[in-house]
Amino acid sequence: MSACKRVQQWATFARTWHIFDCKWQDPYQSAGVIKKYLMGMHKPIYHPLNDCGDVVVCINSREIALRGEDWRRRAYFHHTGYPGGASWTLAWELHNKDPTMIIRKAVYRAMQGNLQRRHTMERLFIYPGEDIPEDVLQNVTNQIRQLRLVPTRLDHIPEEEVKNYPKVMDYPEDYILK
Amino acid sequence: MSNKNLFLKSGFIRAPIQNGVGRFVPQLQRIVLKFCKTYGASQGLREFIEQDLVDFAKENPSVVVYLKPRRHRGPVIVAEYLNGDRVWMSVHNKTHSEITKWIEVLRTQQGDISSLRLRKYQYTDYPSVQGPWTPFTFKDPELNTAQLPDPHFGANDRLPITATEKLRLLFEKQKLSDVKTAE
Amino acid sequence: MNKICVIRRFIPLTTKAMKCYPTTVQTQKIHRWVAPTLMELKVREKKLGGKKYSPRNTYLEWNLEAELYAFGKRLNEDFDSDLLLQAFTDRSYVIKEEQKQKDLGIDIKMKDNRELASNGEEFIKNYVQVYLETILPRFPLEGVSGVREHLISEESLAHVSLHLGTKDIILAAEYPVDRFILANAFKAIVGALLQSSGDERAAHFVRDFVIAQLQGKDVNEFWTIDDPYEMLTNILKKEGATLEPRLIGEAGKNTILACYRVGLYVEKKMISSGYGESIKIAKEMGAREALKKIFGTEDHMKPNFQLEGIPKPNTNIRYQIAAS
Repeated sequence: MSACKRVQQWATFARTWHIFDCKWQDPYQSAGVIKKYLMGMHKPIYHPLNDCGDVVVCINSREIALRGEDWRRRAYFHHTGYPGGASWTLAWELHNKDPTMIIRKAVYRAMQGNLQRRHTMERLFIYPGEDIPEDVLQNVTNQIRQLRLVPTRLDHIPEEEVKNYPKVMDYPEDYILK
Repeated sequence: MSNKNLFLKSGFIRAPIQNGVGRFVPQLQRIVLKFCKTYGASQGLREFIEQDLVDFAKENPSVVVYLKPRRHRGPVIVAEYLNGDRVWMSVHNKTHSEITKWIEVLRTQQGDISSLRLRKYQYTDYPSVQGPWTPFTFKDPELNTAQLPDPHFGANDRLPITATEKLRLLFEKQKLSDVKTAE
Repeated sequence: MNKICVIRRFIPLTTKAMKCYPTTVQTQKIHRWVAPTLMELKVREKKLGGKKYSPRNTYLEWNLEAELYAFGKRLNEDFDSDLLLQAFTDRSYVIKEEQKQKDLGIDIKMKDNRELASNGEEFIKNYVQVYLETILPRFPLEGVSGVREHLISEESLAHVSLHLGTKDIILAAEYPVDRFILANAFKAIVGALLQSSGDERAAHFVRDFVIAQLQGKDVNEFWTIDDPYEMLTNILKKEGATLEPRLIGEAGKNTILACYRVGLYVEKKMISSGYGESIKIAKEMGAREALKKIFGTEDHMKPNFQLEGIPKPNTNIRYQIAAS
């Protein structure tokens, strides 16, 4: 085909690299969003046979927040295939061993259980902290918005702003807090 | 399992040599009617030839009609088209009205349609009017110069407004109205 | 005539629409035990040089006069029947006939289509040039001639001729007829039409069959531009504008599937953008898009295929890409 059509095809099927900050996010909720980008379902050209999925880079996966008592109670099952090879690992144990595993398992579970799943999972990169290799960071051109609010700590807000923030009421000066 | 090993070829609807763009050219080139003068199965075809053939030939001067009376043979219609297809159709024991309808079908066809499985029932040279989608079409240009990850692009901007924020906005509004009344 | 067809066709799932027309090819029933005989026959046929297809005009059901009449009616044209017959007679056929007649001793003069073909060719060339110049008013002349060469090429004319049904009617020495003879026959038909019906009808004929082949084709493909960026800067320099290319998007910079988008700006306004595998390619494609806009030959252009008569082009706004 002509050069114009060739570059048009190249552009339409270009693979974008997205970045997602997992800090204080629920992995199972974010997995629902991440899987869409990995499969290419956010694109109008989507088709399961089309290989139109994008790359997602997850950072701060050490900082994820599971709901409720999950850290203590959620267990991940693994069987080596040999007799007596069954093991149940609690979420906090797994997270200590490998901080990327929880979010990886969450995204794997969110996807459809078809033959494309393992291939699509190859496009997901997870980093426990903020350190990303330079070449990966240079590829990234889009950021996926987080789902949960990340509250700012009081000591991270500048003093000026805290002082000038309007107050509904304030304790009198000689009040003693018990 | 796939299309490669099937004998029925697949393709799209196309008009040969852009038929409708310039003038329209009727695609049926010639039609051969083979029939028997006495055999019972050719009755329908014989009736067609006796009654409707001359009108058909007059209305379609672009079609050459050949008649082949053959004894002891079944009645057959062979239609040849401009793209080279040859459609052989037996009209054994078909009635006059059925044959009229089949002749109409053959006249308005473009070729041997049963030899091609249509992949889509539409065709266009220009599938997109505004230009095909690219990942750059609806992208915010500010992302080009941003240093990702950036909380400006990363934080959730669709959360419902908090009570604290509402109060703060009320306060701001009150301040403004105070200033106005003071003026 | 028995038609033996070994291939069994599949019946697709019928829908209401599909029930109207024949979903299978009707063929003769061949029994299973006949297969070995047929296989042996096929082997012997192959040894003798493959299946021989006899030309259509050797069949019993053939009437040349009727075919010529139908041919004229199909194209909605009134031909002079002698001229039309002459148009279909090829030089090779005349030579063969003369040889045969020499052997028999009779002498019937058959006119061939060389003269008609040359008249037709000249007319087609001039008309197509004039028509293209009218519908592509801003396209440079090199581009117009590139398009014209493609439309008039032997391949294109042979394709048109084939689908008009000339391959059965042409009188030639060898069948099946080759491309050159088909194209020649088409030119001869135009020549015959020119002589029998005049300029305007012949012009409409060429318009409907030759120029209509442009439908769906990208006009810029028939002309190679070596350095579109340089050409664009030269054109803009003449109008006193400067070109500024800027990178406006990229995806996957360090991968092999990297995609860049370069926008070309004139006085801070974007005139076009181009995509590419590298920044250089993207810049070049952006320049090509801008040139398309300037020449008026973008993807969404709608050339007029219904111009009447022989148009007169207006060459005022045409861009001169002279080799300086």
